Amino acid sequence: MDFNWDVEQQAFRSTVRGFLAANLPADWESLAHGPGSEVQSTFSKRFCGELAKAGLLVPHWPKRWGGRDADPWTAFILAEEMWEAGEPRGGQYMNVNWIGPTLMRFGSEQQQARYIPPMARGETIWCQGFSEPEAGSDLASLRTRAAKHETSYRISGQKIWTSYAGHADTCFLLARTAPGRDGISIFLVPMDTPGITVRQIPSLIGEGDIHEVFLDEVEVPGGALLGAEGQAWEISRTALSLERVGIPRFALAAKTLNRAVAALRRSGRFGHGAIEQAARARAACEAARLYSYSIIDQRVHGIPTGPEASAARYATVMAERLVGEFVVEHAPEALSDAGDPMLKVHHQRAVVAGIASGAAEIQLNLIATELLRLPREPR
Amino acid sequence: MDFALTPDQDSLLSAIDKLATQFATKPADFHGFALVGRDLDKELDEGQYYDIALVPELGPLSAAMAVERLARLPCTAEIALSMLVRPQLSGEWPRPLALVEYGRPGRFVATAKTVLVIDGEGIGIVQPSPAAIEPAPSLFAYPMGRLKEGVATTRLSNGEAANIRKWLRIALAAETSGLLQAAIASSVEHLSLRKQFGRPLGTFQALRHRMAECAVLAGGVRWLALKAAGTADEADAALAALHAQESATRVVYDVHQMFAAMGMTLEHPLHLWTYRLKALLSELGGRGGQASAVAQHCFGSAPV
Repeated sequence: MDFNWDVEQQAFRSTVRGFLAANLPADWESLAHGPGSEVQSTFSKRFCGELAKAGLLVPHWPKRWGGRDADPWTAFILAEEMWEAGEPRGGQYMNVNWIGPTLMRFGSEQQQARYIPPMARGETIWCQGFSEPEAGSDLASLRTRAAKHETSYRISGQKIWTSYAGHADTCFLLARTAPGRDGISIFLVPMDTPGITVRQIPSLIGEGDIHEVFLDEVEVPGGALLGAEGQAWEISRTALSLERVGIPRFALAAKTLNRAVAALRRSGRFGHGAIEQAARARAACEAARLYSYSIIDQRVHGIPTGPEASAARYATVMAERLVGEFVVEHAPEALSDAGDPMLKVHHQRAVVAGIASGAAEIQLNLIATELLRLPREPR
Repeated sequence: MDFALTPDQDSLLSAIDKLATQFATKPADFHGFALVGRDLDKELDEGQYYDIALVPELGPLSAAMAVERLARLPCTAEIALSMLVRPQLSGEWPRPLALVEYGRPGRFVATAKTVLVIDGEGIGIVQPSPAAIEPAPSLFAYPMGRLKEGVATTRLSNGEAANIRKWLRIALAAETSGLLQAAIASSVEHLSLRKQFGRPLGTFQALRHRMAECAVLAGGVRWLALKAAGTADEADAALAALHAQESATRVVYDVHQMFAAMGMTLEHPLHLWTYRLKALLSELGGRGGQASAVAQHCFGSAPV
């Protein structure tokens, strides 16, 4: 067991930091609000293109798909630095983390050839069509229907709280092809397909982040089906296991805390109460960091990700909450556009920490059953 | 960064687990507060386990792993300070070690051969005569003792005191980690077996979620404690001790709620972990003391 970064890992982190210093505009921190906004979506395509040219967009992907087979530590160091900087990749972090790898595993040759190269070049934005008005945590109850018509499918239904849909090129869409949990399938649907209507939902997170997506007899060819009919549960479990520790939220939380503390110290207001609260938050950030590292280490050693990923996720939720509460109590001016803009960015993004990619309470259920081995709840 | 055990660590932990097996259950006729593991102490001493940190292939990180494993046992011995703090002292200081803060009773003081004394910023050290120490009756599940007033100590240099304080924090975090895991495991067993309203308590979501949160906290304490032992960094030590005391405060309350009246008895072993955790909550200044250290080492504040 070794808690130190090796020389190569340190050098890679320096390279990423150097890239960020050279490629983020001076006013980036003021732009970083609204990861799905038009400004950020446009910026992210330019930025990810540059990342790709520098070999820093998908280094952990196979060479065949534009990567260099770098290990999971490389991917996570990259993710830490990006998220800490305010995630200039915008919604494209999803491509890098799980959509690309999921297509590599389950996609047809045609799907891979069509969708993976643009991801590796940083040219494309995806959204994930999972939640519906009646299917949030209870995803298996989703109602969006994909009816087969000869060689194509016609999809009708509604998705909601869909991140990045306003500027997305393609949707990773879950729809029902038969009754029951095993009747859910995944379709890769171009967002300009006739019958799709997107409505932005004003949100606490920032401009352009969440949407309703209406699907009215959206016709897609049979080749849009990912994997087999009814394989959605298996595929999305793989995707979620990659996503659960996909965002190193603790990195921006710790940076936010440092900045809030530095401002308090400069103004002579870092007294006992603030010290204790800040220290607790910092410890929670570091606990979340190590938890997440333990999952990455499992990936490095080829150990299948188990319920520890839920524990890592929940530790991150705890850390985000403590940092958010610290800022509200000790640096409230940041939420009124005074002071450090990154504090507001963090606050907007931390709102979703316990909700996106599986509610925190679902993680607690998983931890209770799979990690602690408590008897299951009756259904 | 590599979280896999080395072959030496793996062998060490296997040996410790094997040794610990014979001490894994509370004797049925023991109904006291502190179950002192004299035979455990003897076996660890004879097996030279107290010197793990000095073995180049093992070092302090392996010692912290051993402390954590052994703290899970219902019985207690002076392990953490011997394994993690004593190797840091310059000169030969006999074990067992104990810590006295501000004249209060401390763990293992009545049997200590070496006592560290914290009073303000400095740390003193002394090999007390038998007349200078006495047992102190206590609710805590450690054998508590008192150092009589007026015992002269040798003051450690500021540099050595800072280093010892850091390793005291790491020892505290490693011990807390093991105690938390054992208290949680005991609670999970109870919640899986005990039925009310016709089904196991562990099927009720209100309890499941609380236990899951406790497990997440305990896991975080473990990682922070091991990292601090691995890096020997002041900031890591402060973070580990703070998260340990913060988490223990919450977990001790929650696990007793899980057991209800059963956990109030001295027949059940729960208190052998929770009332040790309670003893650790005040050490080294408690959460306020650790927070000051975090502020100093992570945020660059002047010592408070």
